[in-house]
Amino acid sequence: MNFCKRAWLNVWAKKGRSILLILVSAAILMFVLAGLLIRSAAIKATDQAKADVGATVTLSANRQAAFKKMQSSSSSSSSKSSRPKMTLTPVKLSDATKIAALSNVGSYNVTSSTSVNAKSYDTVSTSTGMGSGNSGGPGGMKSTTSSGDTAITGVSATSLTSDFSDKQSKIVKGRGITTADKNTNHVVIEKDLASQNDLSVGDTIKVKETSGSKSTVSLKVVGIYKASSTSASSAGPMSTDPANTMYTSYTLANTFKGSKYQGTADSVVFNVTTPSKVSSVKTAGKKLINTSKYALSTDDSSYQTVKSSMASVESFANKIVWLVAIAGTIILALIVILMIRERRFEIGVLLSLGEARWKIVAQFFTEMVMVLVVALAIAGAGGKFVGNQLGSQLVSQTATTTQTTSSSSNQPGGGGQNGGQPSGQMGHGGPGSTSSSSTQQAKTKLAITVSAVDLAELGGFGLAITFLSIMIASGGILRLEPKKVLIS
Amino acid sequence: MLKTQDLGYWYQTANEPLFQNVNLTFDVGKSYAILGHSGTGKTTFLSLIAGLDKPKTGEILLEDRSLKQIGLTNYRRHDVAIVFQAYNLFTYMSPLDNLLTAMAITNAKHAGDKAYARQILKDLGIADDQLTRNVQHLSGGQQQRVAIARTMACDAQLVVADEPTGNLDEDNTRAVIAQFQKIAHEQHKCVIIVTHEPDVAAQCDHQFRLENKRFKQLA
Ligand SMILES: Nc1ncnc2c1ncn2[C@@H]1O[C@H](COP(=O)(O)OP(=O)(O)OP(=O)(O)O)[C@@H](O)[C@H]1O
Ligand SMILES: [Mg+2]
Repeated sequence: MNFCKRAWLNVWAKKGRSILLILVSAAILMFVLAGLLIRSAAIKATDQAKADVGATVTLSANRQAAFKKMQSSSSSSSSKSSRPKMTLTPVKLSDATKIAALSNVGSYNVTSSTSVNAKSYDTVSTSTGMGSGNSGGPGGMKSTTSSGDTAITGVSATSLTSDFSDKQSKIVKGRGITTADKNTNHVVIEKDLASQNDLSVGDTIKVKETSGSKSTVSLKVVGIYKASSTSASSAGPMSTDPANTMYTSYTLANTFKGSKYQGTADSVVFNVTTPSKVSSVKTAGKKLINTSKYALSTDDSSYQTVKSSMASVESFANKIVWLVAIAGTIILALIVILMIRERRFEIGVLLSLGEARWKIVAQFFTEMVMVLVVALAIAGAGGKFVGNQLGSQLVSQTATTTQTTSSSSNQPGGGGQNGGQPSGQMGHGGPGSTSSSSTQQAKTKLAITVSAVDLAELGGFGLAITFLSIMIASGGILRLEPKKVLIS
Repeated sequence: MLKTQDLGYWYQTANEPLFQNVNLTFDVGKSYAILGHSGTGKTTFLSLIAGLDKPKTGEILLEDRSLKQIGLTNYRRHDVAIVFQAYNLFTYMSPLDNLLTAMAITNAKHAGDKAYARQILKDLGIADDQLTRNVQHLSGGQQQRVAIARTMACDAQLVVADEPTGNLDEDNTRAVIAQFQKIAHEQHKCVIIVTHEPDVAAQCDHQFRLENKRFKQLA
């Protein structure tokens, strides 16, 4: 191909012009690459968040319906001096097993919370001077069961709770509660409580029920966990110390609550194996339950937050890519048009020799491709730098958005809990507590790396830009009359 | 070999034709000179012969085939080689690459043959060290010789030149004309030279003068 040789001779002979073209192309490509890198990093971050957060569906009492009922009863019985009470129907485990059988539902965790009073040990008192527990239920929501100084969180398995899976609470000795602990009196206690009372794995402690027969029950310590400091702060001043929370099997918690709580739970959290299937699981699950009493809610808020913020990063990156590509095409086209004007004479000689016009266009294109290859290498090195700068700028903005969104999503914290509980429990039940959003932020850092795929995509963009600009400029070649150029 | 048949041409801006009813015949192995005053239309006539423009009336026939039939691009590539006053070389190439490029484009018999191209340039007095240096480092006379060498390296039977000696001194002029004579007589091509120098014209085998819109053959 003679036009390739001509292209090379021209690029080589006119080094100054070639270097200028390389620099212009490299600058254009660098911004395209930065956009591409941010976009792929945003996609990666979203995928990562998807994998990290997973997605859950929570079965709990329908608080909204219960609240409406309470309001209507309060208006009808306004003469009564006592405040109206909100009755929440405990979730039936038979419903839970039906939902668990749906496709895309993986493991599920049953939570049943209550409280007992310490018998053979002393509870840990908070530094806020709230005394040893007995702070009573949340204002205005007195329930039939009175509160004890020790919070009992009955679960299917501690590893399935968000506190443990988010690594906010950790087993430090022994083991956690597992499904094998069903119908046993095994308990996992907090480290501070254990050290204060000199308790270790294998010891037995005694507690006194707060309802029913108020009998004394012996519990066997199978593990010791360490609660994170954040849960203490998020619990608020109204609470007892988080060290006074014990984990048991939900069956034991139900026993403490009384015989009518057999086969029930405060809430059941289902893990959905495919995050995108959350809403379909929710729809299918709602058909299986009495929605006037129970609610099925999704808790992929943190994933949604990451997804939406990354989606905005991605769309911004897309805009960069396209804007730069279009601007680059226009700039290159103008340069090529000028270049062709300057080379009218050469084109005339080629035409007088009988060269085909498309081969002249091909020569210009080949010259630009040669320039592009060098520019690509420069942009590959520089694009990572530009991408990192832009990316960190974008993420720091995004992180602020994430923070605001997740802290506002905390407001309904403590949902799905039964009435008469120590308010210390409030910090645990709430989905997406402040501390978990901070871990989320760490994960949404954009990892900017230049892969071969990125460079290939960039090369594609570069080729397209070059091709388009040559096409725009080639009108001049196609219309050029050799006689006008050569004879004047 | 080449015939013009009732050839006529005029520019859109002019209200009368430059020439009309031109019937001339050019043969291989001969050299022709076209003389005439400035602005009579010599270059215009040559551009028609070179296939750079289309006649307004009449036809140009190459071996009884009209240029229309052959196609102008095809004709320029295979049948005609052009030498201009302004040399018309590729300024970003060496003399050698100029020849090789033209040979490749015109698909010449010796295309790609570097030794052949070198020999032609040497025969025209281009020094060894100048062969591969940029063509712009050469003098006007040398550049014109490179342009002539280009027509020799290609296979086209028809060589047209527009005032090829216009920018040259006497010595260079003599050398260039001698080359054209060689092309006509040794390479057996048809050479048509436009010139306003009577000395140059006198060395050609036949002379025409463009006057009053007609070509007159001189004795
Ligand atoms: N592109 C053009 N458009 C309009 N008129 C033109 C054009 N080119 C040339 N002419 C006119 O046509 C006439 C013939 O021009 P041409 O260049 O053929 O003359 P010439 O015989 O070669 O003259 P010279 O000896 O000065 O080179 C001139 O009067 C010129 O002004
Ligand atoms: Mg002229």
